[in-house]
Amino acid sequence: MSEQQVKELFDYCQVRYLWQFFSRSWDREENIEGILNAANDMFRGRVIKKSTPMERLFYADAKEMVKDFRENFPWIEQTEPAKISELLDGLKAMLREYTITKSLNHELNHSLY
Amino acid sequence: MPMVLLECDKDIPERSKHIYLKVEGEDQRDFLPISNAATIPGTLSERGCAFCGAKLVIGGVLKDTIQMIHGPIGCAYDTWHTKRYPTDNGHFNMKYVWSTDMKESHIVFGGEKRLEKSINEAFDEMPDIKRMFVYTTCPTALIGDDIKAVAKKVMSERPDVDIFCCECPGFAGVSQSKGHHVLNINWINEKVGAVEPEITSDYTINFIGDYNIQGDTQLLQTYWDRLGIQVIAHFTGNAAYDELRSMHKAQLNVVNCARSAGYIANELKKQYGIPRLDIDSWGFSYMAEGIRKVCAFFGIEERGEKLIAEEYAKWKPQLDWYKERLQGTKMAIWTGGPRLWHWTKSVEDDLGVQVVAMSSKFGHQEDFEKVIARGQAGTYYIDDGNELEFFEIIDLVKPDVIFTGPRVGELVKKLHIPYVNGHAYHNGPYMGFEGFVNLARDMYNAKANPLLKLAAKDIRGGKTQFMEAAE
Repeated sequence: MSEQQVKELFDYCQVRYLWQFFSRSWDREENIEGILNAANDMFRGRVIKKSTPMERLFYADAKEMVKDFRENFPWIEQTEPAKISELLDGLKAMLREYTITKSLNHELNHSLY
Repeated sequence: MPMVLLECDKDIPERSKHIYLKVEGEDQRDFLPISNAATIPGTLSERGCAFCGAKLVIGGVLKDTIQMIHGPIGCAYDTWHTKRYPTDNGHFNMKYVWSTDMKESHIVFGGEKRLEKSINEAFDEMPDIKRMFVYTTCPTALIGDDIKAVAKKVMSERPDVDIFCCECPGFAGVSQSKGHHVLNINWINEKVGAVEPEITSDYTINFIGDYNIQGDTQLLQTYWDRLGIQVIAHFTGNAAYDELRSMHKAQLNVVNCARSAGYIANELKKQYGIPRLDIDSWGFSYMAEGIRKVCAFFGIEERGEKLIAEEYAKWKPQLDWYKERLQGTKMAIWTGGPRLWHWTKSVEDDLGVQVVAMSSKFGHQEDFEKVIARGQAGTYYIDDGNELEFFEIIDLVKPDVIFTGPRVGELVKKLHIPYVNGHAYHNGPYMGFEGFVNLARDMYNAKANPLLKLAAKDIRGGKTQFMEAAE
């Protein structure tokens, strides 16, 4: 896994996707985990779970993200599946750091909406 | 680059915590403007009040509902007609304004009887209307009028009417944002679940955070109709009161304005398990992305692709005509909050426009996280900006066009800088594919308008500084 590649994907996500900026830390965590796991399954050709409303939501967001990654980062098609999983794990960690653990947003952990 | 202390703010240095200039290599982990905080004494804020956030932004949009404002007459007038949100029933909401017109004697002796009389008068005068919002304002909240008790009494006497009470006086929060919050939370806790809608499609959504500004909702509704998706409730563009009582029956919440209505989407997820999907409805690529996501959720991707292809074929050539002429335009966005992050990348990608300064009246830090992530380096990001700051920022970034509200817009016009109404639009709708062409056209017309130069001409002869600036 190249740190540069993770950063490229991360920079793309930051300007594009609203799901990483939901209201509270647990919403952001749920989205990052759910969408990137669905994306990983898509890259690896696995059957995507779509039996619950949240699984269908993650599928919808992940599908657009995977399409965008393939269009904008041609190197991803040449990357081995196991390496893609590593890349997405790196992306997850980076998204968590920027939007949750090191976020300066004071409202992130308020117990109420 | 740390936060910025402008020259005009030298006597109120706390303002530097609210103004950020992004430079390459920095991100929102390093700096995030303080926002949704009390306005600093000494700064002339452009903000509205909490009552305004509830009434003008959300409640007043409804097409079949009396908006009874329990307070002095000015509270009614100042939250009426300044937004242009039409409806498909003849614009009932924009034709009438209701107030209890509180005077000194009512403040001294209490206003509940006057409120009860006003509610009954309004229903008597408009016998076809059976729904009402009642708002407290600063004076009626301070004297402790119990509007819920009054509403309950009227509803017991008039069983065919339903009344929602919004207890959010102007002083309840630091800006209009508090009004959005109070209305959202009270609505879901008191009214959602009370009406069972007729389901006409296998695919149902609530479309949340769109107020039909100059027809936004009605334009997007044509997309949902073509996709075969039933909108259970629009929150609140062109919406009826009872639609909003049936929001619990949608399969998906599609959210546009996360600032004014993210609360109800979060609660619908928490209380009813309905997922929340945030989209951007302004801009070609964003709108297409949003449609693709909604269609993927329902497994109707082919319908989405067909609609996008049709819309691109019809509107993209027109967008490109404007893009060619707007390329390199420097734009400032001084609006409420969300349009900063909705627009900054879409005007950059779709129109080649560079956003050089953005100011938010009521955005929270969540909004600044989004806009700093999406916005460019070299751009100013301002919370709760004041007039002097606007003048100084104009000198620093020299925008070609400014999207802002009518109040700030009047200042901008005096500087002979093109202004477009970023709140209520010049000639909308601005959402959707057609809408973004409208936005591009208004931006182009504002920039190319020769009146700016002509208006700067001093007929007594000689040149003014404004003439020189306009040239």
